[in-house]
Amino acid sequence: MSVLVQSLPHLLRGAVSTLALAAAVLAVGTALGLAVGLLRVLPGRAGTVVGGAVELVRAVPLLLLLFFIFFGLPALGVRIPTFPAAVLAMSLWMAANTAEVVRGGVQSISRGQFEAARSLGLGWASTMRFVILPQATRRMLPPFVGLCTILVKDTSLAAIIGVFELTRAAQETIERTLRSFEIYGAAAAMYFALCFPLTRLAARLETRLGRP
Amino acid sequence: MTGGPAAYAFEWSAVWQGLPYLLQGAGLTVLISGVAMVLAAALGLALAVATQTAGRLVRGLVDAYVELFRNTPLLIQIFIVYFGLPQLGLRLSPFLSGLGALVLYAAAYNAEIFRAGLEAVPKGQHEAALSGGLSPAQALRFVIVPQAVRIAFPALGNNLVSLLKNSSLVSTIGMVELMFVANDISFNNFRTFEIYGAAALVYVIMVLALTRLLRVAETRMARPA
Repeated sequence: MSVLVQSLPHLLRGAVSTLALAAAVLAVGTALGLAVGLLRVLPGRAGTVVGGAVELVRAVPLLLLLFFIFFGLPALGVRIPTFPAAVLAMSLWMAANTAEVVRGGVQSISRGQFEAARSLGLGWASTMRFVILPQATRRMLPPFVGLCTILVKDTSLAAIIGVFELTRAAQETIERTLRSFEIYGAAAAMYFALCFPLTRLAARLETRLGRP
Repeated sequence: MTGGPAAYAFEWSAVWQGLPYLLQGAGLTVLISGVAMVLAAALGLALAVATQTAGRLVRGLVDAYVELFRNTPLLIQIFIVYFGLPQLGLRLSPFLSGLGALVLYAAAYNAEIFRAGLEAVPKGQHEAALSGGLSPAQALRFVIVPQAVRIAFPALGNNLVSLLKNSSLVSTIGMVELMFVANDISFNNFRTFEIYGAAALVYVIMVLALTRLLRVAETRMARPA
């Protein structure tokens, strides 16, 4: 028990780094994902090509993406330090999944809305901007918050390439104390404290915004 | 060596040489995720049915389990099972530790998915089954659950695809599956780009095959028997 109390400051520092990592990925990945998502719903060939790229990224495990960027790219002369490598890999993952959320939201709006807007003389961009996106955003919000929960959990993978965050802090503590069960348990509790509010928020948004 | 980016020569023969080993790893990936999928689907359904039929205590316990496992990282769960439990006297092999953590993690999601499916079955179905002379257990078994599974199937399929990808995490406790093999080969021949690229391709093929399989199952299920 005293081991736990003593290791608490180190674990909390790790939790702060986890939040910093998640925030960086949230900023980069979401911005990229929104752009890619809109490209994906473009009519014609462009949308299909972007869609293929998104499916490709989504079909690869995040851990492999991380290793590919951290260990694979240096072979080409592109050497990225651990933290930016983790941000890059996770942002790609986040962007592909955000793009999927955008697509789902846009496609859930009935075709009649598109046709009505177009027949009123609005162009594709204006139709999106003033008619489709305002409605689609409500539907995107719950799955997007769910995605953020998964992101916070998956930042733990960064520990494997040596980024200092909560899981790495737990590993370092265990190397000194050899108390795996308690320390990983404490780390799990901290992840829970970060993720549970997000899960509740997603559930509440779903019931609130799901209603027509 | 003074090679910059331009000096890098791809050596795809490294992939060719590593292919048998990579495919062997993929075999274990298919095995462990396949077993985990079946167990996680069964456990998820059992838990969802339990919350609908059993008392408040059971519902509370299932809720606690679901929230605990959905809101903590799978990697930490794997580490607790493999490194933490021996401290309590329970020593499991890497295979059982990895499998156990994968099942518990995915089943927490599946329980939520099946619960939503059960709640989406119209109440009239239950009443009609009872007035038709079925016992409550029979109504559940033959009327409610089959419809709930059909409703839940697309979401369940997405979660099973996630499970296949998540199985890469068991490489961290020494399971020699595809991710582990990719690390093993590329740390030996330094052909990281080619080997990870090849491993990514194998994952993409497995995910596409599973997605196709799930879609066939879904259309077959939608057809009335």
